[in-house]
Amino acid sequence: MASTTTTSRPSLSEWFKTITFYEILVGMKATLSHLLNYRPVTLQYPHEKRTLPDNYRGMLALLRYDDGTEKCVGCDLCEAACPSRVIRVVSAEVPGEPTKRYSKEYYMDMTRCLFCGMCVEACPVDALGMTREFEWAVYDKRQLHLNKQQLLAIGDRSFPIREKRLELQHPNVAFFNVAFKHVPSKPD
Amino acid sequence: MTEFGLRLAISLTQIAAVMGIVVITVLILTLAERKVLGWMQDRMGPMEVGPYGILQPFADAIKLFFKEDIIPAGANKFLFTMAPILCLIPTFIGFAVIPWGPNWTFEIGGISVKPFIISDINIGILYILAFASLAAYGIILGGWASNSKYSLLGGLRSAAQIISYELNVGLSIVGVLLLAGSLSLVKITDAQAGGFWNWFLFALPAPQIFAFVVYVISTVAETNRVPFDLPEAESELVAGFFTEYSGLRFAFFFLAEYANMMLVSCVAAALFLGGWNAPYPGTILALVGLPSFAWVENTMWFAVKTYSFLFLFFWLRATLPRLRYDQLMRFGWKVMLPIALGNIVVTSIAVFIYQQMK
Repeated sequence: MASTTTTSRPSLSEWFKTITFYEILVGMKATLSHLLNYRPVTLQYPHEKRTLPDNYRGMLALLRYDDGTEKCVGCDLCEAACPSRVIRVVSAEVPGEPTKRYSKEYYMDMTRCLFCGMCVEACPVDALGMTREFEWAVYDKRQLHLNKQQLLAIGDRSFPIREKRLELQHPNVAFFNVAFKHVPSKPD
Repeated sequence: MTEFGLRLAISLTQIAAVMGIVVITVLILTLAERKVLGWMQDRMGPMEVGPYGILQPFADAIKLFFKEDIIPAGANKFLFTMAPILCLIPTFIGFAVIPWGPNWTFEIGGISVKPFIISDINIGILYILAFASLAAYGIILGGWASNSKYSLLGGLRSAAQIISYELNVGLSIVGVLLLAGSLSLVKITDAQAGGFWNWFLFALPAPQIFAFVVYVISTVAETNRVPFDLPEAESELVAGFFTEYSGLRFAFFFLAEYANMMLVSCVAAALFLGGWNAPYPGTILALVGLPSFAWVENTMWFAVKTYSFLFLFFWLRATLPRLRYDQLMRFGWKVMLPIALGNIVVTSIAVFIYQQMK
């Protein structure tokens, strides 16, 4: 009977705590204090919504300039940047303007999107934006396969104040949102 | 024949009233439990149905009523159907001997009627204990008839647990019976009249504090509530003995559990906390000059005691984690049983000396 651990007798206070269920009473006091100082952390979601952070990454949208023309120039950089292959762009020339391109078709399969925002960062003309919409639950997931018109509509309702076209841009070239110092100024 | 008919009519009215009170209380309890648990855990509980979710029990009832009633393949159909009823009836029968208010008698057409108790039988507490034990059959048969291993394990656990702790309930009550000298709940309650110092929890020859603690812990175990809810341990047994039940049959088990909680609370109030007696001598309404309305005050005190005891159930559930099975059994047999037996010895000696001194 060579026991390595010596079981010490409980002291009187420990013994008293055991028979009076001291630890349980402490726990019950804690729960009761929460009942009396009732401060729920619950947010009644459909009725009240939390304030979203400024850099919230919600539903994706295509944007327009203030004159109503699409920003997208069909460069496919978003498609290349997308890690989960959400985006599919079919690029085409603007009829009659061989130097200018646009996206003839633009599809986003939002069932696969992970809202990383890399397409928005990749876009050279800021044609993509992340809105603050997040209530996109649908009964048929094919409804999440969005085309260009739907994406533009999301952009229209989420960004009512549109960006102006740059002053220093040639009307006939595909342009980027950088200062084109070498482009001659617009004739007045 | 008319006398028999009148007696039957009065009894049926009383039974309907008591059943109504029990069912309404169960409805309130289901909501109160979720609300109290929510408040204790910094949540809100149900909030959607009605203002502050007060209509949630009705929504639950309607939902359970319209759910599909599934009988699993390979289940014993007869026993599977019988088990919820076997569980429900013994608990509801127990309410027949609970005294809800003062022990009054009045005459209707030559028949003496006790308005606040369905039947004042002289072995009331034995009757309740006997039927409470029968409810274990409902649980174990429900577990066995489901043809599911989880149900069977839950039923077995429940049977072992109820047998172990029913013993402690019975033994903790013996002290009260020694003090009151009767098995009738009406007589036991009458013996505690005249202030809270006469309640058997504090009554002088032998205060039943230890017996009360044993009774509380054992009833929590007997009604399969947290921290002794091993028969329905979600993390181990899905839902225990009612895993395979759905719809109305599940609702019956649910109703039985809450009715059982209410029954043990009523018994605790009647045995230890003075039943319908106010914690001061007499009643205020009788003092004011309305002795015919004193029953309102008395029944209110009974309700307050019962509901405080039910609140304790919720409070324990919000506080404590589940015990392990061997801990449960060791606690029941090695701690609760000796305390209950010691309480009987001490109470008997105290009562004997008290009677010799008188």
